[in-house]
Amino acid sequence: MPIAAVQEERLSRRKNDAAFPLLAIEWCLDQAGIGPESLDAAVFYERPMLKFDRILTCALRAFPRSWRAFPKAMKNSLGEKVWVRGVISSYLGLPARKILFTEHHQSHAAAAFLTAPTRRAAILTADGVGEWTTLSIGLGSRRLDGASSITLLREIRFPHSLGMLYSTFTAYLGFAVNEGEYKVMGLASFGRPTLVDQVRRLIRRTPDGAFALELDYFEFHTTVQRSYSSRFIDLFGPPRSPYEPIDLNTAEGRRFADCAASVQRVLEDTLVDIARALRQETGLPDLCMGGGVALNGVANARILAESGFERLFVPPAPGDAGCALGAALYADRIHFDNPDRQVPDHPFWGPAVDGSALARLAHEDGQLCDELDDWELIDRTADDLAAGRVVGWMEGALEFGPRALGHRSILAAPHAAEMRDRLNRDIKYREEFRPFAPIVPIEAADRYFELPPGGARLARFMSGVFSVRPEWRTRLAAITHIDGTARLQTLERSMAPRLHALLESYGRRSGMPVLLNTSFNLAGEPIVNRAVEGYSTFRRSGIDILVAGGTRVVKRASSAAQKEKIACSRSVAR
Amino acid sequence: MTRILLSPLHRWVWLDTARRARKLLRFAETEADGGRDLVRAAELTPDPLLRRLFLFHARDEQRHAELFRGRGAALLHALSAPSSPTGYRADWLAPGERGLDELRIEELEDGALLAFLHLSEKSAAMDFASYRDVLQHDPSTRAVFEEVLHDEAYHMNYTLSQLVRVSPQRHQLLLWRVRLSRLWKGYLRLALALAGAISGLILTILYFTLLAPFGYFAKRAARREPTGWLPVSSERNASLDRQY
Repeated sequence: MPIAAVQEERLSRRKNDAAFPLLAIEWCLDQAGIGPESLDAAVFYERPMLKFDRILTCALRAFPRSWRAFPKAMKNSLGEKVWVRGVISSYLGLPARKILFTEHHQSHAAAAFLTAPTRRAAILTADGVGEWTTLSIGLGSRRLDGASSITLLREIRFPHSLGMLYSTFTAYLGFAVNEGEYKVMGLASFGRPTLVDQVRRLIRRTPDGAFALELDYFEFHTTVQRSYSSRFIDLFGPPRSPYEPIDLNTAEGRRFADCAASVQRVLEDTLVDIARALRQETGLPDLCMGGGVALNGVANARILAESGFERLFVPPAPGDAGCALGAALYADRIHFDNPDRQVPDHPFWGPAVDGSALARLAHEDGQLCDELDDWELIDRTADDLAAGRVVGWMEGALEFGPRALGHRSILAAPHAAEMRDRLNRDIKYREEFRPFAPIVPIEAADRYFELPPGGARLARFMSGVFSVRPEWRTRLAAITHIDGTARLQTLERSMAPRLHALLESYGRRSGMPVLLNTSFNLAGEPIVNRAVEGYSTFRRSGIDILVAGGTRVVKRASSAAQKEKIACSRSVAR
Repeated sequence: MTRILLSPLHRWVWLDTARRARKLLRFAETEADGGRDLVRAAELTPDPLLRRLFLFHARDEQRHAELFRGRGAALLHALSAPSSPTGYRADWLAPGERGLDELRIEELEDGALLAFLHLSEKSAAMDFASYRDVLQHDPSTRAVFEEVLHDEAYHMNYTLSQLVRVSPQRHQLLLWRVRLSRLWKGYLRLALALAGAISGLILTILYFTLLAPFGYFAKRAARREPTGWLPVSSERNASLDRQY
C-alpha cells in the first residue's frame, strides 16, 4: 500500500527539478519510519541502457546532421543517466541487486491501472517518449485470488509520437516544451481547426490503425536545437517568438490559435480512433490512461464520449512523476507477487501543512491572524469568498501530481470575468487566454455542467473538460472558457471534507456551490508545500486571505505594507 | 581602471541590436532566477526582519526581470529581420548579475548568505554601470540600467548593514570567505567550460572518424523498420533486474 509520494520539486522548490530526488526519498522513508536498509527494493521507472540505446541509434541514423547534438547527448547520458543503478546504490547504500527497473510505459500503465478502482481494464499510455515506446496499449486485471497482471500488447515506437507532435507545436507556438502544453490546449479554444489538413500531412495513419510521423517536417529526432524543420515552417508560416504576446485580434494571433486548434483536433481524433479500436478488441467497459498525453482533458473527454468505454480512469499524476508510484506498485504486485490491495482513491500523499507555523510567521510580521475551529473557519472563508476576496487554501497532505485538487489551492468566486482577469494579472501573472478551473461537490456537478456518463469520475482529478450548462455560463464567467467549457473537479465529501463543507457554505451564500480553484503557486514556481511557502506566496501576490490548517491570515492594506517597506528601509539605514 | 579598459569591449558587445536584445532577455532570466532564490532564502531564514527584506528584494528582482524582458522583447520586435533569441550573446565579455547561481541556500547561514548577496550585488552594480555608460545610443535601454542600478545600491546597503547586524564579530571574515569562494567558483566555471570544450572536441572527432560506418548501417536498418503497431513480447518485461 502506498505510504507517501512527493515530487522533488515540491521540497527543493526548483520547478521541474531533475536532480536525483534525495529529499523526496528521505521524506518518504521518514514517513514510513524506516531506513533504506529496510527496503526490499528501490525501483527506477525506466531502463536507462535502453534509453541510451535509443539516443545513440538516433544519433547514428541522423549522421552527419547530428554532429552538433551527438557530443551533448553523450555527455548528458554518460555523465550520470546511464549509471542509475550505481547512483541509487551509492545514495541509499543499497546493494545493486536490490535496484530494479521497470520500462517507462510499463510504469505509466501500472500507475494508471493499479491505482484505479476497477478489476479489469484496457490500458492506453501515451507521452513524448520513454525508452523507445511513445504509445502502448494493453490489459490489466486483478484476479479474485489477489494476483494482478499488466500485459502490454502493442506499441508505437520513437520517433513516431503523438506527444512529440504536440510538443513540436508547443515549441512552434513559442511555449516551453514539457511545460507549455497546457497553454496550447487553452489557446486551441480561441482558434478554428482550419489547418487540420496541413497537420494531417505531418501524421499519416497506418493501415493497422496506428500512425507514423512524416519525419521531413521534424528535427526533434536529429538535433537538440529545434523540434521542427524548414518544411514545417513552409507549411505553417513563421514560428511565434516566445517574447511576443499573442494578440488574438490580429491575423497573426489568430493563425497561432488556429494552429493550436488544428493540432488539438488531430490529437483528439487519433486518440479516439485508437481507443475505439481498443474497446472493440477488448470488449471491456473500463479504460485506464497514463502518460503526459493523458493530461489533455479535452482529448480525455472526447475519448469518454466517443470511444465506447463507459469509464475512463486517469490518475492524479499521469505524467512522469506518477511513474515512480507505478514502478513501485508494479514491483510489489507483479514482481514480488503480493496480493492486490485497493489504493486509496485520492491524490493526497505528500507532507501535511502545519497551521501553527503560519500563525508564528504572521505574528512575527504583524499580520492579522486568527486561529479558528473548523466551522468558524469555513464560515469566515465563505464570507470572504462571497465578498470577492481571493483565498490561499492549504490543508492536510500535499497533492501528488501537477494539479491542485483542493489541498494547495487558490480559491475565488467563479462568477465574474473580472475575477479571472484579476487572477491572471495580479496573482498568477499569466496569459489572458488561459482558463481557470471550477470545483464543485459531486452531487451538484450535473446541475451546472453537462457531464456524460462517467464524466464525474473523470473529473475527480480534474482530468476532463466538459461544457458548462448554457444557462449558467454568465454566472460562471470566471471559469467558463471561450468555448463554453471548463476543466472541472468534482469533489466527494470523503476526499476533502473541509473543502466540501466550504463549497456548501459558499453555496448557501451565493446560491451556487461552485468555486474557482487554481494551483497555489506563482509563475515559474512549484506548487507550495509548507505553510512558509504559502505565506511567502501570499505576501508577494494579490491573495487577500491565507488559510493553513485552522489558521487564517488577512493581508494588511497596501498602505500598511508600504509603511512596512519604509520601516524596513529605516531599520536598514540605522 | 578596469572599467575604462573594458569600455571599448563593452561598447562593441552592446552595439549590435540583436545581441543587445538577447543579452537583456538573458539578464531577465537571471534576475527571475535570483528572485526565486531570494524567496527561498526568505522562507528559510528564522529572522523576521531578514524575511521581509528578502521578500522585498525578491520583488525587486522580479521587477528587474520584467524591465529587462520588456526592453529585450521591444528590441527584438523592432528588428527588421527576425532574430533568434538564442544566438551569440558574448556572455564571457559582458556578464549580467550572477545572482545566487550554484549556491545551495539551504546550506547557508544568514551571515554567509548576506555576505554573498552583498558582493554579488556589488559586482553586478559595477557591471551594470559599465553597460549604462556605453549605451548613450540607446536611451531606453540605458534607462532600464539606471533604474536597476538604483535598486542595486539599496540592495548593497541593506545586505551589508544586515550582515553587520547578524554577524557583528565575523562579518569581515565572512566577506573574505565569499570573495575566495567566488574566485574558486570562477575557476571552476572556467575549468568546466574548458573540460566541456575538450570533451566536445574529442566526441566530435570520434563521431566523424568512428561512427560513419555505424551510421550507414543504422540508416539501412531504419529504412527496413516497420511503422505502425509493433507487438510487445511477453519476455521483455519478465525481469526487473535488467537495465536494457
